[in-house]
Amino acid sequence: MSNTSIRVRLTIWYGCGLALIMILFASALYLVMSRALEDQIDHSLEDAAMAAARSLEEHRFGPFLLLDDLAQAFPELALLDKFFQIFGPQGQITLQSANITTRNIPLSESAMQAALQGEATYESVRFQGGISIRLLSYPIKHGETLVNILRVGTSLRPVEEMLNRLVFVLLIGSPLAVIVSMFGGWFLAGRALRPVDTITLAAQRIAAGDLTQRIHTTSADEIGRLASTFNDMIARLEASIRQIRQFSADASHELRTPLTITKGETELALRKERTPEVYREVLESNLEEIDRMSRIVDELLFLSRADLGEIKIAKEPVQLDQLVQEIQHQAIVLGKDREVETVLGTLEPTQVVGDEWRLRELFLNIVDNAVKYSREKGTVEINLEHANGMAKISVQDNGIGISPDEQKLVFDRFFRSDTARAHAQKGTGLGLAICKWIAETHQGQIQVESTPGQGSRFTIFLPLLGQA
Amino acid sequence: MRILIVEDEPKVASFIRRALEEESYAVDVCPDGVEGRDLACEVNYDLIILDLMLPNLPGLGVLKGIRAEKVKTPVLILTARSEVDQRVKGLDAGADDYLTKPFAIEELLARSRALMRRASGETSGILQIDDLILNPITHEVTRAGQRIDLTSKEYALLEYMMRSTGRVLTRPMISEHVWDLDFDTFTNVIDVYISYLRNKIDKGHERNLIHTIRGSGYTLGPERK
Repeated sequence: MSNTSIRVRLTIWYGCGLALIMILFASALYLVMSRALEDQIDHSLEDAAMAAARSLEEHRFGPFLLLDDLAQAFPELALLDKFFQIFGPQGQITLQSANITTRNIPLSESAMQAALQGEATYESVRFQGGISIRLLSYPIKHGETLVNILRVGTSLRPVEEMLNRLVFVLLIGSPLAVIVSMFGGWFLAGRALRPVDTITLAAQRIAAGDLTQRIHTTSADEIGRLASTFNDMIARLEASIRQIRQFSADASHELRTPLTITKGETELALRKERTPEVYREVLESNLEEIDRMSRIVDELLFLSRADLGEIKIAKEPVQLDQLVQEIQHQAIVLGKDREVETVLGTLEPTQVVGDEWRLRELFLNIVDNAVKYSREKGTVEINLEHANGMAKISVQDNGIGISPDEQKLVFDRFFRSDTARAHAQKGTGLGLAICKWIAETHQGQIQVESTPGQGSRFTIFLPLLGQA
Repeated sequence: MRILIVEDEPKVASFIRRALEEESYAVDVCPDGVEGRDLACEVNYDLIILDLMLPNLPGLGVLKGIRAEKVKTPVLILTARSEVDQRVKGLDAGADDYLTKPFAIEELLARSRALMRRASGETSGILQIDDLILNPITHEVTRAGQRIDLTSKEYALLEYMMRSTGRVLTRPMISEHVWDLDFDTFTNVIDVYISYLRNKIDKGHERNLIHTIRGSGYTLGPERK
């Protein structure tokens, strides 16, 4: 059954349901109808019996009951679809109407007994040849004595014919109704399910790799909602796949440069016999490039794990002023070669909640950049203040600066400004992206302001302890 | 043969330069897009090796700039992106060939030779004038079947002269194609190298191939009346 289409199943269920309803309805109709007809017959028999009884009383129970008189006295009996019999108190026929032709219909024992008790009896009798008759035996008493038994009968044939016709109509009509409505159900189910086919086709094209596919829908019904949910999902999928493609293209591009260098320098060195110094230089340069590649790979791994939410961030109180002081000491060492000085401006005692190790990485990265891009004998200034319930750490250098266009992009993965790219010390282009991630996972922010040629200021905001 | 490398990654530029110099080419390196474009328009290079990612002006801009100035020098582009459309854009903007990083040094050299050969109208790759034969791949030079050993500069001078056979080569032309930007044009180094070459090529042979054109320069070719 699970292989059959929903359309077929819906149609079959629909048909079965309707057939059951039709059967119940037809049976009920037949029962009610036959009961009503029987009641009607019994009523008319009773009316006729009453009329005949009154007529008998008028004739003073005389032995002559003339149908013509009866018909004159009671015009409603003129139809004469009924016959009359009058039995004596012993059950013998004393008189019967002329429309009883051939058959002799004796009084039954049970009717006789009932008449002796003074009760009327209804009976149905079926003769050979299929003729059914309904009989009413009615006792006529004078005082306490049973004088006569009046019997009125009528043929059940019109009733049977009517019921037969009803059965015929129901037998032909019901299956017809079921078939017609099954066709209707088939058509309606097809119409309702057509958008599902459209969605399936679109999904197949998407599965084949075409993520630009969308389902066109205008309706706001269940199917319409499904289609628009589906479209949203595909749009998000398309965006994230585009992002992944961009990321891997960037990553392969970044790895190509050190690869080009190691390959080129090695091949060049191997073309001829070289002096040991040349080999040493090539190996040293290659080592630098290998370090650069492993740094790129490490940082790429970090970012992809961060994207997947696999990196745990501790939530412990961190004494930020102490951390900033330690960073300053490290920055002094980093700046020694180029005589770049790192100084502390304001240093307010500050506690934040977070991962000390990651925060250290964040500050060290920013301060290292500041030292690296400073002029020789330049100064880097670090400030730690409070602003609007946040800890505000700013790192100011007087280095090469970043142009306004590039300021928007510095936190993007693999972005490196032209000036940074021309700089002797190559970064990976991922450092600031990692800084941004660390700041944001601590519910903080990182910003940059810069004037090209004059220097940059990176500002990090982190929620203070008790405010997060 | 003088080559310009426009590449901002110093180590890449450096090893390409050294490889080309070992092949006796004169090489200039420029790390900046705008400067590279200006240099390519000013100096008559025999080949330009151009990286597509450059500061100030991207490689495609450099390419369009020099083609707009009617510079016909063959251009070999280097790209770190393997996407087809980058290469198509480069070729459409007037590049003659491309290489994807990382590349093999030998391939870079072979493509450089091929581009310069095509530019000088050669087809076989082996240069021959009379019984003087020069193989640019092996750097082997023979005259009448006899091997001639040349220094790198002598070889570069001879290759340039053989590629420009029949034309009169002035001293500035020679210095531009055989020596790089650091060369001091106010010396008689060219004359000295011409005399070295004469000693090795023409000495002991009936027909001289190197001729002095008084007042203008030199030419290489079959004997002139």
